[in-house]
Amino acid sequence: MGNVNVNIDGRKIRVREGSTILEAATANGITIPTLCHIKGQVPSGVCRVCVVEVEGSKTMMGACHTPVAEGMVIHSKSPKVIAVRKVIVELLLTAHTGDCVNDSNAENCALHNLASDYEVGAPHFNVRNPRFYPAEESNPYVKRDMSKCILCRKCVKVCGEVVRKDVLSIGYRGFKSKVVSGFDEALTAEACRDCLKCIEHCPTGALSAPARV
Amino acid sequence: MAEKRIVLSKCGSIDPQDIGTYIAKGGFSAFIKARDKMKPQAIIAEVKKSGLTGRGGAGFNTGLKWELARNAKAKAKYLLCNADEGEVGTFKDKYILSNDPFGLIEGMCIAGLAIGAQQAFIYLRNEYHFLYDPLVRAVGQVREKGYLKHMDIQVFEGAGAYICGEESALMNSIEGMRGESRYKPPYPPTRGLWGLPTIINNVETLMNVPHIINNGAAWFSAIGTGRSKGTKVFSVSGDVSRPGVYELEMGSTLRELVVGLAGADDLKAVQIGGATGNILPASMLNTPLSHETYLGSGAVVALNSGRDIIDVVQNDMHFLNDESCGKCTPCREGTEVMLEIFGRLARGEGHEGDINSLDALARTMAVSSLCGLGQAAAVPVLDSLRYFYNDYIDRINQSHFLRSYLSGELFKSEEGIR
Ligand SMILES: Cc1cc2nc3c(=O)[nH]c(=O)nc-3n(C[C@H](O)[C@H](O)[C@H](O)COP(=O)(O)O)c2cc1C
Ligand code: SF4
Ligand code: SF4
Ligand code: FES
Repeated sequence: MGNVNVNIDGRKIRVREGSTILEAATANGITIPTLCHIKGQVPSGVCRVCVVEVEGSKTMMGACHTPVAEGMVIHSKSPKVIAVRKVIVELLLTAHTGDCVNDSNAENCALHNLASDYEVGAPHFNVRNPRFYPAEESNPYVKRDMSKCILCRKCVKVCGEVVRKDVLSIGYRGFKSKVVSGFDEALTAEACRDCLKCIEHCPTGALSAPARV
Repeated sequence: MAEKRIVLSKCGSIDPQDIGTYIAKGGFSAFIKARDKMKPQAIIAEVKKSGLTGRGGAGFNTGLKWELARNAKAKAKYLLCNADEGEVGTFKDKYILSNDPFGLIEGMCIAGLAIGAQQAFIYLRNEYHFLYDPLVRAVGQVREKGYLKHMDIQVFEGAGAYICGEESALMNSIEGMRGESRYKPPYPPTRGLWGLPTIINNVETLMNVPHIINNGAAWFSAIGTGRSKGTKVFSVSGDVSRPGVYELEMGSTLRELVVGLAGADDLKAVQIGGATGNILPASMLNTPLSHETYLGSGAVVALNSGRDIIDVVQNDMHFLNDESCGKCTPCREGTEVMLEIFGRLARGEGHEGDINSLDALARTMAVSSLCGLGQAAAVPVLDSLRYFYNDYIDRINQSHFLRSYLSGELFKSEEGIR
């Protein structure tokens, strides 16, 4: 495969054909935020915070999954892109419940960091029934607090495609979607061993190691 | 103001359960011509030249799409007929499948020759279960006649999800996965069902193919407008005296369809293209219907002066929120927030910020959602804000009044006057 020429934020860039916009940007020191992408894995394209403007396209494109093409002109930080990302971050904050929503020292949460980068304050949207689930500590290795989950699906992806255990999957549909084990059963020690890969990748506090007693 | 029947030309005059009656009307002559006298490239060239575009909503040039799949190198290729017809207010494919299944199968036989597919599926929406056996029988009769030697057709039933009408979710559904959309590119003609080149066409699109092969591209492209060739089959419902399926030349006006043929009276607005469709005020009845203007799936719902537009949009949003697959943030969360706002407006709990919120959400969803559902969910919201802005202001004023009344402020100020 050869190389192609693209333009990102006014900079002329030459990249390998077949790379994604995200790869092209990252290799050239241009940062594009991501919440659902795992480097080296097949993109998921679900969180949408990585969207960029591509000239000639009516909609914005997900940078993590859209391959570059010769002559592509990309805007990764235009006012329109920033405005859209802000709304997406605000939406992710809206459906949340849990102490982290008002927690100022939630600096381990990628969503909170993104919110402060984009100056998104407390969300002013409302939802009828924010997702709320009791925290689950049925498993000795993984504590699940799904109220904090932003449905980025990284845990599902690592569990299935990386460690090939397929313990986690998406259950239900639409706003009621939830990361489930089996038919939404408790995550037992029989189903899930202690690889802890999902905790490593979870961008929020939804998955964590239980406190040692 | 007359109908122009091409796609529906055999509906009602043949027995949908007897291939003999279809053949007696000239059926399968196009397939025999394509099979014996034309190379696949020639079939594609003819369809391309005719200007036939997809009737499922997006309006992409059909021949161009076929060519992509034809040129893709792969060990197998698939043809899918999209008979999911989940769009609200659309029932034309049901009419076609019930009355002329052979027309569709002939179109599929020709498409299969053109792209080189060995296997085809008809993705039938679950709610049309009553059409399953008739369709399977019709395919059986075509097979017996020896017209399906190059390709097999299987009827596949969906499980009742609107999103499975979206092409990539439909493929996921056939593959046995969750009915969720995939990001594009790659597009189905290069990488579709099981990763192989796939052509997916709407029922009505495929119905046009035999007519183009029989009568030629020039004949077809003489009908319609600049970018929209041929006819369109519309499903008209709502506040009309003669609801039903009508086939009109592309570019006919809304007035001809809704008032002239369907007999609407006292119109306030029409919604074109289902729950994700445009909402136009009655003052725009002279708008021609084509890809250049408004078309979608051809669903037209008439709304008379007794209808409240915000109720209509709330109803659309209820449907879209229910049918969102939940994969991407803007649609999963955005439809839920919008539904909450419409609920508050309906209960008299609205406030000024609601209009801005709806606008910001709609604009975000339109450009950042992963698939057409979330992108188009913004359309009725933006249209109602554009053409019926005062309705929103009224709702908000009513909310203010209710709040002040309930908190007793009206009483207080009256006492103050005395
Ligand atoms: C949410 C959604 C639902 C759709 N439902 C249908 C449907 O029921 N029938 C259909 O033909 N196309 C439907 N489409 C359009 C298909 O994705 C696709 O564009 C079409 O089947 C292509 O066929 P055509 O080129 O013949 O129009 C839908 C699209 C979206 C985004
Ligand atoms: S649990 Fe964590 S990794 Fe899994 S989907 Fe939720 S936020 Fe993402
Ligand atoms: S836009 Fe809606 S239906 Fe489409 S992928 Fe996103 S959540 Fe699913
Ligand atoms: S990082 Fe691209 S969609 Fe989530």
